[in-house]
Amino acid sequence: MYLVLCSASDFSGLWVCDGLRQLGIAPLELVLAESLACASLWEHRLQGSRTHLKITLPDGRTVCSSRIRGVINRLLAPAPGAAYRAAESDREYAQAELHAFYLSWLKGLPGRVVNPPTAVGLSGSWYHASEWVSRASRAGLTVRPYRQSSHDAPEDSFRPLAPEGAARLSLITFGGQLFGGSVSAAIGCACARLAREAQAELLGVELYREGAGAWIFAGATPQPDLSIGGTPLLQCLARELTQGERP
Amino acid sequence: MILVCGIPSETPLRLVTSRLEEMGAPFVMLNQREFASCEVWFEVSREAIRGELRIGKSTYRLEDFTAVYPRLMDDRALPELADEPPESSPRKYCRSFHDTLTRWMEIAPALVINRCAPMATNASKPYQAQLIREHGFRVPETLISNDPDLVRGFRARHGRVIYKSISAIRSIVQELSDEDEERLERIRWCPTQFQAFVEGENLRVHTIGGEVFATAVRSQATDYRYATRQSGEAAELREVILAADLAERCLTLSHALGLEFAGIDLKITPDDEVYCFEVNPCPAFSYYEANTSQPISAAVARRLASA
Repeated sequence: MYLVLCSASDFSGLWVCDGLRQLGIAPLELVLAESLACASLWEHRLQGSRTHLKITLPDGRTVCSSRIRGVINRLLAPAPGAAYRAAESDREYAQAELHAFYLSWLKGLPGRVVNPPTAVGLSGSWYHASEWVSRASRAGLTVRPYRQSSHDAPEDSFRPLAPEGAARLSLITFGGQLFGGSVSAAIGCACARLAREAQAELLGVELYREGAGAWIFAGATPQPDLSIGGTPLLQCLARELTQGERP
Repeated sequence: MILVCGIPSETPLRLVTSRLEEMGAPFVMLNQREFASCEVWFEVSREAIRGELRIGKSTYRLEDFTAVYPRLMDDRALPELADEPPESSPRKYCRSFHDTLTRWMEIAPALVINRCAPMATNASKPYQAQLIREHGFRVPETLISNDPDLVRGFRARHGRVIYKSISAIRSIVQELSDEDEERLERIRWCPTQFQAFVEGENLRVHTIGGEVFATAVRSQATDYRYATRQSGEAAELREVILAADLAERCLTLSHALGLEFAGIDLKITPDDEVYCFEVNPCPAFSYYEANTSQPISAAVARRLASA
């Protein structure tokens, strides 16, 4: 069994699921975050060196780790439904417990998992803009200075780094290959290095430029719009999923 | 120059600053309760990460800090904000100040004991347990479920079973009782962790700068941190020397988790099997130091001064 884990509003996740089906990846199950939030059964065990997972979804489907061969993981957070069943005073605690639980069962998934969870993200490393700029600079991408002060609201850091009107380029790096656009070999290598050092094997990298200048780093995400990679990315994902199968 | 952040009277922080003073190591104390008279900014560029921290009338260049020891409490819960409404200016400034300071610490070229990202493994105990297991330690047999029948079966199989929170929010470890079983229906909407009880001696191992401090804890309580409440008797702590290979494994585990300073909770069974329950990335070591005189604060101070 192959899984695509995403939310109902993640059109990119739905697109990749549809595309993988057309490429013959089977059996392939789309498991939505909203469905996981209403699962009637969760069974997650750590036994010796083994990890076991069994989920019964509201529509009766069962996901069992013994049958999983590959996963496209695009979960951002547990859907809020479950935590809202807690008393208001316990809601923050319930949400923290659910996040901790999701991190664990995702970590224990067998087979080829694209992208596995890290301590700082359910589907790969989610870093603050300042850290992405620092990492991008170390990886060899051109960066513009990032500045933050105690007089800036924390949410300001979510503003795009690219100035309005600048030309933009969205790339995806996966398995050492670059999808979505044509750039110099040096930029391609730097993107791959950024992904490797961020422990995000599939990483979206945004660049911008003004006029005919150099491409400048504008951001990175482990949750890019996969459709920009088109069929070549789908084929690569399909290959990775099937080659990651256990004997 | 060393930057120490938090509330100066908090015991672990007070011990470390005392040791730094004794060593004559220059340090700056940032009292987070005085955030209103502080400012911070930083800039990341191709060349460097630079910035400034103002504390009262003194201003310091961030790039001059070679080491940082943050023990920041949740800034939303600072006493200074107790009477502030959710969107008040002091509350917003406090959040922005702490956010900026923390963002800088994550990328600063200084030694930071510890950064947030590696500390995050402790926000999911079973996630961290899987990392611990990869480094050769046993972890207790664990069931996380929302199914009361599975929990009853787990208890029937293991006899003694404990339950506790799995996030970074602290809970008191409790043994599952017959009365608890009657209210198991309440786990339906939030899968809950149950673990086989492991018999043996508790060990807390602090690792810092290549040094290892092991403390044996004797207690009848399920959670020795609450020994008096749970068993009526305080826990007994004593210093122990770990076998060289176990000490090395503890150092390797801390390093693998990216932690400069860690508090590793072990249990040694009567058969000499070593179980690891968790790795605390922000250990309140003062409890162990006060009961055993182990010089943990001095080791932290030495590590900070060595950077």
